[in-house]
Formats: sequence, C-alpha cells, structure tokens
Amino acid sequence: MKKIAITGIGIVAPSGMDKKVFWANIKAGRSEIKVIDRYDTKLYPSHIGGQIHQLDAYSHISSRLLQKIDPFSHMALIASEMALKDAGIDLAAENLNNIGIFMGNALGGWLYGETELRDLYIEGREGVSPYMASAWFPAAPQGQVSIYYGIKGYSKTVVSDRASSLMAIGYGAKVLARGKVDFILAGGMEAPLSPYGLLCCNTNGDLSTDNDHPESAYKPFDKKRGGFVVGEGAGIMIFEPQERVGARGREPYGYVTGYGTTCDGTDRIKANPDGKELARAIRMALDDAGYKPQDIDYVSLDGAATMEGDVSEVAALKEVFGDRVRHIPVSAPKTMFGNLLGASGAVDMIITLLAMEHGLIPPTLNLKDVDPGCQGLDYVIDKARPADIRRALVISRGRAGINAVVALEKP
Amino acid sequence: MDTKTKVKDVVVKLLKVKPDELKEGQNLETSLGVDSTEMVEICIALQKEFGVHLEEKEVTKYQTLDEIAGVIDKKKI
Repeated sequence: MKKIAITGIGIVAPSGMDKKVFWANIKAGRSEIKVIDRYDTKLYPSHIGGQIHQLDAYSHISSRLLQKIDPFSHMALIASEMALKDAGIDLAAENLNNIGIFMGNALGGWLYGETELRDLYIEGREGVSPYMASAWFPAAPQGQVSIYYGIKGYSKTVVSDRASSLMAIGYGAKVLARGKVDFILAGGMEAPLSPYGLLCCNTNGDLSTDNDHPESAYKPFDKKRGGFVVGEGAGIMIFEPQERVGARGREPYGYVTGYGTTCDGTDRIKANPDGKELARAIRMALDDAGYKPQDIDYVSLDGAATMEGDVSEVAALKEVFGDRVRHIPVSAPKTMFGNLLGASGAVDMIITLLAMEHGLIPPTLNLKDVDPGCQGLDYVIDKARPADIRRALVISRGRAGINAVVALEKP
Repeated sequence: MDTKTKVKDVVVKLLKVKPDELKEGQNLETSLGVDSTEMVEICIALQKEFGVHLEEKEVTKYQTLDEIAGVIDKKKI
C-alpha cells in the first residue's frame, strides 16, 4: 500500500497522559497495575488493572459536555486534542469536509450506560438522561470528536473486540491511501473499569486472578500465565499522506506501510492454537508493505496470556519467520499498564513508533519461565534493549482469533 | 424567589454554566446554544421543580426566561 505518515500522537494511559511521561515510564519498565480502588472491587474474581487518575487535570472539556458523555469519549477527546497539537495542525486552515475519524473500541461506554439503567429501574422512565442513547454506544467517541471540531469527512468506528483500534487504523490508512480524505485521526479508546464493565470482563474468563500480586499478575508466554489484566485509556494518532507532510515541513514518527487481517473462525472464545490464520494476517501485512520476513527488526506482541492466545501467536511467528524468529526481538509492553482491550492496538503502535524514535525496545514484564509451547523467540524481558528498528510489526488480536497486523517503517 | 429566578437556577445548575452566560432577554438557544436534548432535560427538571406538567411544545429553546416563567405561572393558577 501507499506509505501513510504518522505525524501526531495522543496518549491517555495508566503509564502517563503525555507522550514524554508515558515513554519515560515505558522505557523504565515500570508497572502501573494496581488493585482497582475506584469502588469496592474485592468480590470480583479479578480486581486489578491499569487505572487513570488524573483525567480531569488534562481535560479541556466543559462540565456541561462532560455530563453528557462517558469517560471513553472524554479520553478520546483528550487524546485527539493532544494528537492534533503534536502534529501542529491548525484546523481553522483545513477543509473539515476532507478530514476523517477512524476509531475502535470493544465495549462502548458502560459507566454511563449502567448508571442510567440503574436510574431506569429505580426512578422509572423519566429518571434516565436523554443523553443515554448518544453516550454509551461504541461510535460515541467518533461522534463527539467530530462534533467538537466540526470534522465532517468519511469516518467509521470499528468494533472488533481487542483488535478494534488496530483494525480502525488499518482501515483508515487504506481510506487515506485511496485519497478519499486529506488526513485522518485514528486510534481507539476503552473504559472497562466501571462496575458492570469489569464484571463483563471477568465473565470472559481470560483475566488474571492473581490479585495479591498486581504488578506481576500479567505474564504472557510464561509457564505460570493466568490471563491478562485490564486497563483503561486511549491512543489516537494523526495519519497523513507523505506528500502532505512534506509540504507542511514536518518530520513524521514513522509510516504505516502494510495491513493484514484474518479471523480464525473456529471457536467462540479461544484462538486456534495452530496460529495459521494469524500467520496469514502477518504475511498479508508483509506483502502489503512489500517486505520480506527478513526485513522485520521488531514485533510488538499481542500477549493475551492465555494458553491458546500465546501458543498460537508464537506458532504464527515461527511459521512466517522460520529459523530467523530467534533473532527478531519481540515484546509485550502492555504488561506494564494492562490490556486496554479495544484501545490496545493503537497504544502498542504508539509505543512501537516511540521505540523507533528512541532506538530502544521496551520490555515485557513478568516473563520468568517461558512456557515450553512459547520457546524460541527473542523476548525482550524486564529491561529495555537498545536497537535500531527500521521496520516493525504490531499484532493485535481479539477474542476467538480476530487477527490484525500493521507494518511500520522508520522515516 | 420568583418563578423566573427559579427557572434560571434550574437551567444554570442543570447545564453547569455560569449565571451570567444566560443573557437577559435572549432565548435559550441564542444565549446558551441549548439543543433539543438539553431542552428535554430542562423540561423534566422544571416539572420536578414546580410540580406542574409541561409538554415539550410548551417550553422550547426559542423562549426567554420570562416566557418560560410565564408558561409555568399560568399552569400554577
């Protein structure tokens, strides 16, 4: 595909609400996973996660608007503002009809939804906010960003479990490559730590219940893995055609050069352990970018920390990269702040771009004893490793094996 | 407190705006940019405050505080 430049980064995550703070924490390998203390979570089988505490401190949103939106839209508005500023874009000088918004999330805005449902059953019909309908649904953040800036171009929200944001980015990059819009905002957001949202995540059965050891609970590819840990946040970036970036005199963080997506199509919850469909998605992204397997310098892993998730991810990498897989550094930095579900792919992509910029691969935490089914990869563990990353892959996967892979290139 | 002051109080608290943002003599849309969904909320809040039944057609964003207060005062009689 035609190369698409990334020129602005907006990050709202448990590890930081600012690109510099976020990267400082990530490169230091600092865990932000704690017991969820926003309400009494003790009876939840898994009650640990990556929380954001200082959302209001970074917010430019009025109280009037805040009472009409869910936190997942709030996070999207903050991340979008950060990304636009970072890219140096003045919307007053742009044609708002030719800007697109491509966002992804898995759950929608549950805090708003569950609060209003409570009011419905307690107070009756008139107790429900008229904003309920426009606050909870998954396309709400896209709509709010669109309204806030008056952006009116071709836009879309992708709901595809944990792969949502990477799929939104892949889809958006393709739309941009076809010249349908001038530039896009793309990424994802998720706010799963509400009382009902967290309950739903728990019933999924894929969460770690090692509540006594929050910082070490999320251990993908390890013999003692017990599932992932949830987190909340948003990652939104500005994507522009190369020629436009040149005309603006900006230096991009990197380029999206390829995208691939497949579905396992075997089970309702579990990935197919053979990893064949993920391997096909990886090959698709490589072919789309015009890369050979030997061109890849780093792979950002999905790291589901479930048996089928981990084993199939490793199997796919071995199938595509053969013997060379031992020499490609891989890591799952989300072990530091939690799996942001639908927002995870976008945040992993931001980390990979920052890793390219700083020549440093952020580590996977808690991988002490590699599972026999996951051996043979060059895992970057505990400490960041210096490396010149020219080309990288980001893997993001949803429940039951929804596979999304994006290929990135350093400028 | 007269009806108009109470109506103003309800609108200001509900929308979380400053009292001086609600301009005297202007309708709710012109002074605050109130939209139709906010108007639904305002209508429900006024019914609770004054204990009268209000149709959405009776209080609209195109009315001033004086006009809305007038509608409510008539209902109270």
